[in-house]
Amino acid sequence: MRRSRFNQGKRRYKRKHYRGKPQGGKPHSKRILASPDSDHTIEHRIAFLGNPNVGKSSIFNILTGSHQHIGNWPGKTVEKKEGHFLLSDEYFSLVDLPGTYSLSAHSEEEIITRQFVVEEKPDLVCAIVDATRLERTSYIALQALELTENIALIVNMMDLAEKENIQIDRQKLEEQLGIPVLLVSAFDNSCIIRIKKFLYDALHTEKYTFTPAYLLYSQKLETMINSVSRQIEDRKILKDYPTRWLSIKVLEADKWVISKLEEEYVLDDMFNKIEKLKKSENFDPADEIPKRKFRALKGIVKKSCIGYDDFKEKLSDKIDKVVMHKFWGYPILILIYAAFFLITFYASGPIINGLDYLLTSFSEIVRGWLGAVNSPIFLTSLIVDGVLSGIGAVLLFIPIIVIFYILVALMEDSGYLARSAYLMDNVLGKFGLQGTAFLSMIMGLGCNVTGIMATRTIKSERDRLSMILTNSFLPCAARLGVIAFLTGIFFEPWIAAMLMLALYAMSFLLVFLSAMFLKLFLGKSETMPLIIEIPEYRLPRLKNIFHLTWERAGIFVKKAGTFIFIASIVIWFMSNIPYGVDSEYTIAGYIGRGLAYVTEPLFGFDWKMVVPLLFGIPAKEVVISALSILYYIPGSSIVATLRAAWTIPQAISFLVFQLTYAPCFATLASIRSETKSWKMTAVGFFYPLIVTSLITVVVYYSLLPFF
Amino acid sequence: MNTMNKKNYLADSTVNSIVKIEKITAGQKARRFLADLGVLEGVKLRIIKNDLGPILIEVKATRVAIGRGIATKIEVTG
Ligand SMILES: Nc1nc2c(ncn2[C@@H]2O[C@H](COP(=O)(O)OP(=O)(O)OP(=O)(O)O)[C@@H](O)[C@H]2O)c(=O)[nH]1
Ligand SMILES: [Mg+2]
Repeated sequence: MRRSRFNQGKRRYKRKHYRGKPQGGKPHSKRILASPDSDHTIEHRIAFLGNPNVGKSSIFNILTGSHQHIGNWPGKTVEKKEGHFLLSDEYFSLVDLPGTYSLSAHSEEEIITRQFVVEEKPDLVCAIVDATRLERTSYIALQALELTENIALIVNMMDLAEKENIQIDRQKLEEQLGIPVLLVSAFDNSCIIRIKKFLYDALHTEKYTFTPAYLLYSQKLETMINSVSRQIEDRKILKDYPTRWLSIKVLEADKWVISKLEEEYVLDDMFNKIEKLKKSENFDPADEIPKRKFRALKGIVKKSCIGYDDFKEKLSDKIDKVVMHKFWGYPILILIYAAFFLITFYASGPIINGLDYLLTSFSEIVRGWLGAVNSPIFLTSLIVDGVLSGIGAVLLFIPIIVIFYILVALMEDSGYLARSAYLMDNVLGKFGLQGTAFLSMIMGLGCNVTGIMATRTIKSERDRLSMILTNSFLPCAARLGVIAFLTGIFFEPWIAAMLMLALYAMSFLLVFLSAMFLKLFLGKSETMPLIIEIPEYRLPRLKNIFHLTWERAGIFVKKAGTFIFIASIVIWFMSNIPYGVDSEYTIAGYIGRGLAYVTEPLFGFDWKMVVPLLFGIPAKEVVISALSILYYIPGSSIVATLRAAWTIPQAISFLVFQLTYAPCFATLASIRSETKSWKMTAVGFFYPLIVTSLITVVVYYSLLPFF
Repeated sequence: MNTMNKKNYLADSTVNSIVKIEKITAGQKARRFLADLGVLEGVKLRIIKNDLGPILIEVKATRVAIGRGIATKIEVTG
């Protein structure tokens, strides 16, 4: 045990350094940019890694500003964020790796992170840690230290640490770890230039001698590490990975590493030895290695910092006594989410009406122009009623979505979102789901595409799949629009509100019950119990709110927007060809009348009710405009017309059906891209359709006798 | 004071007490994930909340919620 210590300089490593002359012998690690529009011939590639919530994205955002690009890792469902900045005519490209707790193989994110570090060989890996949680957040840095030598450490959140009277001795920390260290706060105005300079120095001068510390484990472990190392030294695969690191991972029973190595080696001897040790001495290297790392970390922190007095009650604890109370927590949760919906609803109403007015006026102006230049009526209608109304359908829903995701971001940045997942764990547990599933459900209430993306945080594969398949049960903003529109026409305000509540309750119930039901088919999977970190409460920051909202609302605009736009034009064609005939005799009319033979006896939907639902399959946003067109009677308002045309059972049956009957095309596309399976995509489409049909029949026939 | 060194499970620990983890008998996957969050043998932690639902603990200046099922598989003294 006494052998476990940090030895510096065991592995001397002299960094190739570069003094800023692009012409001179170029170090091979620097890529020369071929882009003709740039004078910056040197590119430094830097990767940020660290735990969730340490401020990676904050630092990434202030460094890169608007020069960033969010995409996916090729073939993976993990987000990839890239950006760049310039300094002294040199080009620094940054990658914000996903936030993870370690570099094991627990999740796709972790595998991507370590693969990037080793295989892409960034010029510098920058581990970011949180000064207030230095020990825990540095664990991943210690792991990275075993993986690469080009590594620097940024200790963020120094402002909070100072408030807690934590003092960190930068120099001592640097000596202990053998890598450059910067103490910084992302909220400090001078931090941009300090971080840039730090990264520049770390990449350029000899100010920092890179002699990353070298963690020596216990004698028993070292013997085992050496024995694996000897065996795999001359391997042909995984050549970029350090041998020692691979050996450590083998001992940690890392599935990814082991299965790769077993392509070349038989490691059974080693595993037999480990099994024996586990039985005879109760010694499991997979437990021992993290223990050693944390012990080393504790020592480092002790030597270089003061002020981490254990277990003092913080402000967050006091707030949580109420907010996470076993009883009061729930009324508070309901109040917060109720406020959340009321604000989204009432704040977006006037904006939408205003936008609607502007769009209609604009359409009329365009119609006027086109009339003035003698455009054929057919073309005018295509442009105004097809293209413009398509753009309108997208624009109209942006305010709701933006307001919705601003509120989500407020809850997330303040720390409440994680707490609501904690509270909901009790409720969801009854249905075999984890609290984390709640987050994807909330996100889905804005736009199902965003909701499905949010399932990425769900650990159990099976739960994730069932949440992807059922996210479309949750009414997105578009369906909220339909519900609000129709309930407003047919019912008194208070009945409308109750009905709305009932519809939302039904959606959630469907998700819960489906989770239990789908479990029977999606096969067995190890149930992962809930283990989540609950962050400190923080005052939300405008910048974060902006970034988070921008990312999520952006998904709606990009993905859903394209589909809505195209769907609007297709719909125009279907409802206008042959041109000039009554709507009954257009393509849509024929299809609608055909379907009505089925829907009329089952749900009470005549063809005019069927067509909007049909058009609503690609994008729910068009349901209202389709209703307005089909029920258009000159000189009469749509409200009066609909009220006269539909009976109450028909209206309720329509509301129930439209709520859950089919995911929009954008949602289907993301089911496909997240599951990578056409079969699941088909299930994602037909399952809601069948379930909703059954429910609607029951609802319609139970209401009929009363009206 | 009289409770010193008494063996107990995390799930049965009283609020605000500070305990030391002796043994974690949960499955390998759960054990690893706990370790990533700094919850491993030999570590001291404080119980913040233990009534309904997951147990909330403070460990290495962070707070972590742990499902009740797992908490019955963490042996502590303190
Ligand atoms: N007080 C303080 N708060 C900070 C600082 N840096 C970041 N934060 C806050 O910490 C929270 C998390 O920051 P992010 O930048 O989203 O963290 P991240 O590492 O990207 O997190 P993930 O994306 O979840 O991995 C946000 O609420 C930030 O406002 C800092 O230096 N001081
Ligand atoms: Mg981030």
